[in-house]
Amino acid sequence: MNLQFVVDGLLAGSMIGLGAIGVTLTYSILRFSNFAHGDFMAWGAYATLAVVGAIGAMFGKIAPMAPLSFGWPLIAAVIVGMAITGLLALLLDMMLFARLRAKGQAIIVVMASFGASMALRSLLEFIFSSRPTYFSRAIQIAMPVGFGIRVTPDQIALLLLTAVLVLGVHLLMTRTQTGRSMQALSQNAALARIVGIDVAKIVRVTWIIGGALACVAGVMIGILIQIRPFMGFDMLLPMFAAAILGGIGSVPGAVLGGLIIGMAEAGAVQLVGAEWRAAVSFIILMSVLFVRPIGLFGVRER
Amino acid sequence: MRQTVLDVRDLEAGYEPGVPIVRGATITVDKGEIVVVLGPNGAGKSTLIKAIAGLVPITGGTVLLDGKDITAAPAHTMVRLGLAFVPQTENIFPLMSVEDNLKVACGILMPRETPARIEEMYGAFPDLARQRRTAAGNLSGGQRQMLAIARALIVHPKVLVLDEPSAGLSPKFVSMVFEMLAGIRKSGVTILLVEQNAKAALAIGDRAYVLVEGKDRHEGIASELWNDPVVAELYLGQRRLNPERDRHSGKGSAA
Repeated sequence: MNLQFVVDGLLAGSMIGLGAIGVTLTYSILRFSNFAHGDFMAWGAYATLAVVGAIGAMFGKIAPMAPLSFGWPLIAAVIVGMAITGLLALLLDMMLFARLRAKGQAIIVVMASFGASMALRSLLEFIFSSRPTYFSRAIQIAMPVGFGIRVTPDQIALLLLTAVLVLGVHLLMTRTQTGRSMQALSQNAALARIVGIDVAKIVRVTWIIGGALACVAGVMIGILIQIRPFMGFDMLLPMFAAAILGGIGSVPGAVLGGLIIGMAEAGAVQLVGAEWRAAVSFIILMSVLFVRPIGLFGVRER
Repeated sequence: MRQTVLDVRDLEAGYEPGVPIVRGATITVDKGEIVVVLGPNGAGKSTLIKAIAGLVPITGGTVLLDGKDITAAPAHTMVRLGLAFVPQTENIFPLMSVEDNLKVACGILMPRETPARIEEMYGAFPDLARQRRTAAGNLSGGQRQMLAIARALIVHPKVLVLDEPSAGLSPKFVSMVFEMLAGIRKSGVTILLVEQNAKAALAIGDRAYVLVEGKDRHEGIASELWNDPVVAELYLGQRRLNPERDRHSGKGSAA
C-alpha cells in the first residue's frame, strides 16, 4: 500500500476538521445543525479570490513566494476573506437564524439553514458562474520525503497553518474568558446569563470564529483542488461526520474526527476504490457511535 | 441605621402574559440581613426571586437595588448591578472544572483581581480548593451548592439571592449549607433566600415573609415566626383564611 494516503488524508482531514470546528461550536452553543456551514467555505474561497483579484488590479502582477504557489496577496486576501466570511455568518444569523431561534423550535432553524445553504450557493453561481476556477494555475513539483511519500510546499504550509489555527482555537476555548463563556453557554444557557455572560455577544463570537475557519478551509480546498460553488456543500457530510465522531462541542474532537475521516477516505481510495470514499467514513462514524454514542471526546451530560 | 438594599414593591410577574404567578409582592431586605421568604408549594416563591433576578418577565411593580431601579434589567447585567443569584438546581457548569466555574463568573472583575479573588474563595471554602481541577459535575451535592454560592459571592454582590439552597440535600448537608450562609452574613453580605425548609431557614434568618398565592401575606421576625399561629394557618389552611385578620399581626413588628 502506497503511504501517500497519509499526506492526502492529513490534508483532507485538515479541511474537514477546520469546517467541523464551526459545525461543532454552532451546534453546542446555538443547538442546531447549520447545514449552510459548507457554503461559508465556498463563500470564503470566493471572497478571498475576489480580494486577490482586487489586489492584483491595484498592484499589478506579484510573483509568488517560492517555493509556494502563492504570494503575499493571497495571505492578505485570506485575512480579509476570514473577516468577510465571519461577517456573512453573523449577517445570516441576524437576518434569519436569530429570528427563528426566538420562536423556539430548533427544527425550523435547521430547515432554514438548508434554505440558506441553497440560496448562498445559487448566489455564488449567479455571481461567479459554476465553472471551476483556481487561485493559481502553476503546477508544483512534489518533493519526495521518504517512504514513497511526496509533498508539495503548499501542502506543508497549509498543514502548518491548520495546526496553528487549531491550537489557537483550542487555547481560546480553554484559556480565555470568551472561551470559558462559550463552554458555559453550551452547558447551561440560563446559568450562563445568571453569572453575567452576555449571550448575544458570545453568539456573535461563535459565528465569527466558525465563519473565519470555514473561509480558511475553503481557501485550502481552492489552493489544493479547485474553487467552485458546490465545493462547500460537498464537504458538509464529512464535516458533520467529523463533528459527531469527535463528540459534539469538542474542538480537539472535531479536528481528530476530521483527520480520521480524511485518512479513512484517502485510504479507501487506494484499498477499495474512489467510489467508496464517502461510504467508508460513514461506516467508521457508525461503528464508533455504536461503541461510544457521545463521540470520541464527547462528555455525557450530568 | 436601617439601610434598605433590596426594595421590591407590588411586584407582578409570570411566565405567560395574563397569567401572573407573583401578584403584588412587597418585600425589603436591609443591609446585613438574612431575609427568608417562606410559603406553601406553588405560592410563587421561586418565581418571585427569579423575577427579581431578571429571569421571569415582570408585568408590574418595581425592584430597587440600593435605590437604583433594576426592574426587568436583563439577567446577565444583574451581577454588574450587584445582585448575585444562586438557582435551586443546575447551578454549576458540570463539565467545567471547579476553578473554571469560578473564573467564568469573574467577567465583571478586573482581570488582575481575579486570581486573588479565586484564592479568597478557596480560603473560605477549603473543600473547593482541594478539588479545583475536578469537573464540577463530580462534586457531591453539598459541594456543588458550596461552589454555586462561592461563584455568586466572588463578584462582591450587594445582595446574594438564593432559591432553596437546601433542596435535594441530605440532612447533614442541609445544616452545613445553613451554617455557611450564617457565616457569609457575618462577613457582611446581605442575603435573601427562599426556602421550603422553614425551620432551618428561620433559625438563621433575621426577618421572614410568608408568601401565599403570589402575595406577601405575613411578615415577622424570623425567630418568632416559627411559633406564630398565623404562619401555621397560612401554611395549612390557606383557603379558609381571612385576609383582614392576618394583615394586622406581624406587619410593623420587623426589626
